[in-house]
Amino acid sequence: MSDIFQFNGAAGSGWSQPEPILMDAVETVPESLRRTNLPEWPRASEPELVRHYTWLSQRNFGIDTGFYPLGSCTMKHNPRINERIVQLPGIDRIHPLQPEHQIQGLLAIFYEMQNMLEICSGMDQVTLQPVAGAQGEFTAIRCIQEYHRSNGENHRDKVIVPDSAHGTNPASAAMCGYDIVEIPSGEDGRINLDALRAAVGEDTAAMMITNPSTLGIFEPEIAEAAEIVHTAGGQMYYDGANFNAILGKTDPGRMGFDAVHYNLHKTFSQPHGGGGPGSGPIGVKSHLAAYLPSPLVDRESVEDGGATGDGYRYFWRTPDKTIGKVQQWHGNAGAVVRAWAFYRRYGRELELMSEHAVLNANYLRHRIMNPDSSTLERIPAMPVDGAPAEVVKHEFTLSMQPLKETTGVTGKDIAKRLLDYGYMSPTLYFPMIVPECLMIEPTETESREVLDKFAEDFLAVLAEDAEIVTTAPHNTDVRRVDEVWAARNLILRHPGSE
Amino acid sequence: MDQLPNLGREQEMLEAMGLDSMDDLFSDIPKDVCRTDPLPLRDPQSEEEILADAQHLLGANVDLDSRPSFLAAGLARNFVPTMVPMLATRGEFLTSYTPYQPEVSQGMLQAMWEFQTMVSELVGLPVSNVSMYDASTAAAEAITCAVRVKGRKATQKGVVYVSQFVPPHRLSVIENYSQGGEIELRTLEHGRDGRVDLGAAVVAAGACAVYVEQPNAFGELDEGIAQLKEIIGEDTALIVGVDAVSLGIVEAPGNYGADIVVGEGQPFGIGPTGGGPIYGLFACEKEYLRMMPGRIVGKTIDEDGRDAFTLTLSTREQHIRRHRATSNICSNETLIALMGAMHMALLGPEGLKRLALRIAAVTEVTKRAVCSIPGVVLVDPDTSNFREFAVKLPGEAADAVAHIDQAGVLAGLPLGEWWDSMSTCLLIGCDERTSQSDIDALVSALSSWVEEVGA
Repeated sequence: MSDIFQFNGAAGSGWSQPEPILMDAVETVPESLRRTNLPEWPRASEPELVRHYTWLSQRNFGIDTGFYPLGSCTMKHNPRINERIVQLPGIDRIHPLQPEHQIQGLLAIFYEMQNMLEICSGMDQVTLQPVAGAQGEFTAIRCIQEYHRSNGENHRDKVIVPDSAHGTNPASAAMCGYDIVEIPSGEDGRINLDALRAAVGEDTAAMMITNPSTLGIFEPEIAEAAEIVHTAGGQMYYDGANFNAILGKTDPGRMGFDAVHYNLHKTFSQPHGGGGPGSGPIGVKSHLAAYLPSPLVDRESVEDGGATGDGYRYFWRTPDKTIGKVQQWHGNAGAVVRAWAFYRRYGRELELMSEHAVLNANYLRHRIMNPDSSTLERIPAMPVDGAPAEVVKHEFTLSMQPLKETTGVTGKDIAKRLLDYGYMSPTLYFPMIVPECLMIEPTETESREVLDKFAEDFLAVLAEDAEIVTTAPHNTDVRRVDEVWAARNLILRHPGSE
Repeated sequence: MDQLPNLGREQEMLEAMGLDSMDDLFSDIPKDVCRTDPLPLRDPQSEEEILADAQHLLGANVDLDSRPSFLAAGLARNFVPTMVPMLATRGEFLTSYTPYQPEVSQGMLQAMWEFQTMVSELVGLPVSNVSMYDASTAAAEAITCAVRVKGRKATQKGVVYVSQFVPPHRLSVIENYSQGGEIELRTLEHGRDGRVDLGAAVVAAGACAVYVEQPNAFGELDEGIAQLKEIIGEDTALIVGVDAVSLGIVEAPGNYGADIVVGEGQPFGIGPTGGGPIYGLFACEKEYLRMMPGRIVGKTIDEDGRDAFTLTLSTREQHIRRHRATSNICSNETLIALMGAMHMALLGPEGLKRLALRIAAVTEVTKRAVCSIPGVVLVDPDTSNFREFAVKLPGEAADAVAHIDQAGVLAGLPLGEWWDSMSTCLLIGCDERTSQSDIDALVSALSSWVEEVGA
């Protein structure tokens, strides 16, 4: 094991740097505030650290390593040109508060992205400021909250979410101060209109829902749901986590939504980086636009062609009734630039991306659920669909309940065993309404061969001896990790030399 | 289209499923919500064309390295060692996601545990998470966290005092995050010398929390902040926002009673990047552990008893606790925190101190030089500054910045952008890349503007 805290170079001078341009600069700090004990950081040379971090990287699984069917997270290939572009000084070495005339190129990219996202979602105004999907949800619900308040409707204090919703939906609305009303899904996993009718009322501020749902199926009654909520005076919020399924085929505007967030790290390939960064722009219909965070990018025609030569001067604009800021600056500009490069590759053919995401999901589902007879014979119990559907969208759910009942093998065991085969596990135990759930999202960037092989290996795991599966993984860097031990002992940092 | 491996093979895959056309895959979308026209967007481009357009557009920006620049305002024009982006963008790190499966994610988990350790050491508190979005959301969620922990005992229910000299964009983030939690924000007054008014600070005793920054928005270090905890007492959380690099020479707030320390991590690991992705630091006393936001890595053992790492205390989080979660944060800034960890590890303790001394030195030299210009005075005389200082000019600061821009120098932030009452004040920021010739260029351009205004 490579332990960074064991590096303790004798030189101890640290990273080489020029001399301070003033000696005794420490005297600029009032004596009582001067630090006496330096932090116990590693004392390491560059070669030691390069090897340490290379070693760590080799103990980490990414899309580049292998198939990553983590449902709901849209783990698609991240084109490398995007990384090259964000190293350009025109983005890496840019301060968001530079005068507008010094950052016309960045503003032009922001404007193009606002516009593109508006077109793709059927919304009237987009802001790029929120830096993650959850922050997008929070921002949009804040805008809806201020909208209701300025209409004198302060009594609207409830947000409705289906029981299949992403956990961020209720968490974001609760952070805004709303009470959450969770409505049960129908037996087919789809939105239950009767439950919705019973839940709405004068206290309804909004409903938050994703479509396709977290089960990967399109909600055919979405327009009726929107009408029910609107009739009650509430607003419809679209969780864009599953946007990869429908681009160019339909959009939240047509479905009746008032606000939407996009996950640029999902649909538009900003790399997920072990947990982030993300980028979670939101779009709204015109009646909510005045409340968006500040600032937005706007433009005006200019005679001289403008700094980028496209005939426009770009500038920041503050919406009239803005909620203010949700991120310190103007959002994750670097993520926006990556997403811009991704968008430019597809242009008006973005629809192809969604078509292939849906093609791959349906193909993989078909391959898993229709094994040949000799394979089927060896499987003690096949999974069942999380929700019945002729076709799914970009992802699908499987319940491992039958296998659990037959052999005791759980969904978690299957997930762990897939690691041995060189795959990242599907999303486990979500949505919670499907027992022993595995949620599988292949994305559009996997080949038919990869999907065939995964289906074959998945079925092989189902047929394996329970003993092997329940004790998996066997071939990973560490065996099954004890999460209870971690929570009980809470060793959250290196003990140091104390 | 070079991103779709199955392009041209749609029909064979459809046939294998018993479907006829791609339209069959979307037959579940009702006609009345279907899009029938193609997306009115531009033609697809090749990688070559995209790069050319990116170079053209981003090339139209003026990058901070291309001229003397004194714009900081909480975001650093830093130097990031070459190793950092090279190693952090290795595909195994770059293209992974939240380590829900620790058995195949030990690399990122260990790197984040090391990050937690280094942050903990830096600020002098035992617990750190693996990042917030930025300094502002870290401050905002520190406040909501403190209210959850201290709310019951507080005699001033839901009350939080926030320093008068917190930048307005951060205050706005704090307001948005706290308005839903029945939290009342009040202003912690500063005296005429810019420092926290310790006499007035007694009003905060019994509140849930106090939020101050060290240095403050004007880069001023305040000895009084080290005495605040004694004044407000055990039942009121002291939250301190820091310039992370300054802690190479300035006392760690954990050592003078801070309960939670937050700050911008960006100076370690990544360039200013147009304002993001950057990352926020969040560290606290153990008392706050179960109420804190964000992901936390713990050391543990595997089935065979070997050392291993895993996410822990997930029951605080939205994917388990839903609307009762301590925060809605899910995607965070882990990759940028990884870059930060690499940068911190490369610096080492002595390298950190050297870096802080370099910034302290250029701040002092720049301050002296700028204040030698007749008519230019410090907003708060006799303060100690780190990285930034504010001066009052004999005219509108926005005019000065525009004038100095003509000379190819970025002079700083006109403080009227933050506070209307400070329209004649300029916030000047320094960093490890500031050179004597940069300082000379600023002084020369500012002098010429002052002369013009005076004339």
